[in-house]
Amino acid sequence: MAANGESDGDRPPPFERIVADHGALISRIAMSYEADAGLREDLTQQIFLAIWQALPSYRGDASLKTFIARIAQNRAISFVARQVRQAPVAEIPERLEADAPDPEQSAMDASDRRVLLDATRRLPLPQREVIVLVLEGFSYPEIAEMLDIAPNALALRLSRAKAALKSMMEQSR
Amino acid sequence: MSDLDLERLGEMWRADPEPAEMDALRRSAQTVARRARWGQAVDYAIALLVAGVVVYLALSNPEADTLLVGGAAILVLLGGQIRQRRLREVELRSLTGTAEEMLDQSIERLRTSRRHNRWSLVCLGPAMFVGYGLASTTGRERLAADPTVGAIWLGAIIAVMAALVIYLLSSLRNQKRELERLTALRQSYANETDQPTA
Repeated sequence: MAANGESDGDRPPPFERIVADHGALISRIAMSYEADAGLREDLTQQIFLAIWQALPSYRGDASLKTFIARIAQNRAISFVARQVRQAPVAEIPERLEADAPDPEQSAMDASDRRVLLDATRRLPLPQREVIVLVLEGFSYPEIAEMLDIAPNALALRLSRAKAALKSMMEQSR
Repeated sequence: MSDLDLERLGEMWRADPEPAEMDALRRSAQTVARRARWGQAVDYAIALLVAGVVVYLALSNPEADTLLVGGAAILVLLGGQIRQRRLREVELRSLTGTAEEMLDQSIERLRTSRRHNRWSLVCLGPAMFVGYGLASTTGRERLAADPTVGAIWLGAIIAVMAALVIYLLSSLRNQKRELERLTALRQSYANETDQPTA
């Protein structure tokens, strides 16, 4: 089996392996679109179901991580689009483990992470989509391909998203 | 241009979740996979059961009308399966495409659904009159014998029709809201592509 859940030849990896390798990515995407814990659980399950259904169609023409991120983003966008209410700003696990090497640093990281997540959730969906993919470590050509937009259009959207994110993070601090 | 350090933020963003969080995620995924597998198994079992019953009935009573009904039942079953498969393919395309394509498909589906609902609402009145006319023609003698039965039937039909009208109106209102939200969202994607940076 290939590393990091990539497909073994033409066959997609088993669902359980995808959850182990890409569960954190799915969790973060769900978290960036839904603040309410109960609804987020619902969204996460919908993303898992969508991946389970789409997995047999995976042909390896893009990386598995790209395939999963695209499904998770699309499911999250349709989920958010169907919500009538405004998205509340809600909790994020603070990751203050007792055995953390430096509790002070961990507390700072948790606080920064919360500010980042809150600001990301307040971005308009097209900008949020780009920022989440950048934060997830996708390269710009990969993102342009995933969103099916020209590199200059991506640069434009990213520039606007960064400016909005920065402004929101500064307001939150 | 913003001086936001996305690389540093990305490292913070991608920090591994807590083990408890990952455990909850795994449990959630297992539940979904189990339900999906069960759903698939139940679908196959129902299809096999219906086909088996139809074949058994046709073989145990090999008359022309039994074979006709059996054949029709299997065709309906196959038609349902094909429709399900097409719906799944459309859903799959929307999941693996871009957000804009997904929104376009959702908007189109919603518009079609609204058209169906509006058409149902328009047809409801004439259908009620036709139904009532037919019922009063065919059951004239029974109604004459016991007018209370006729009143009860009429009351029940009006209640069902009223419930249907309320349901359709409420669906149309909800669909209108959803359509507005989706259209606004689609427009926001179009604006992101069209507008130059301020």
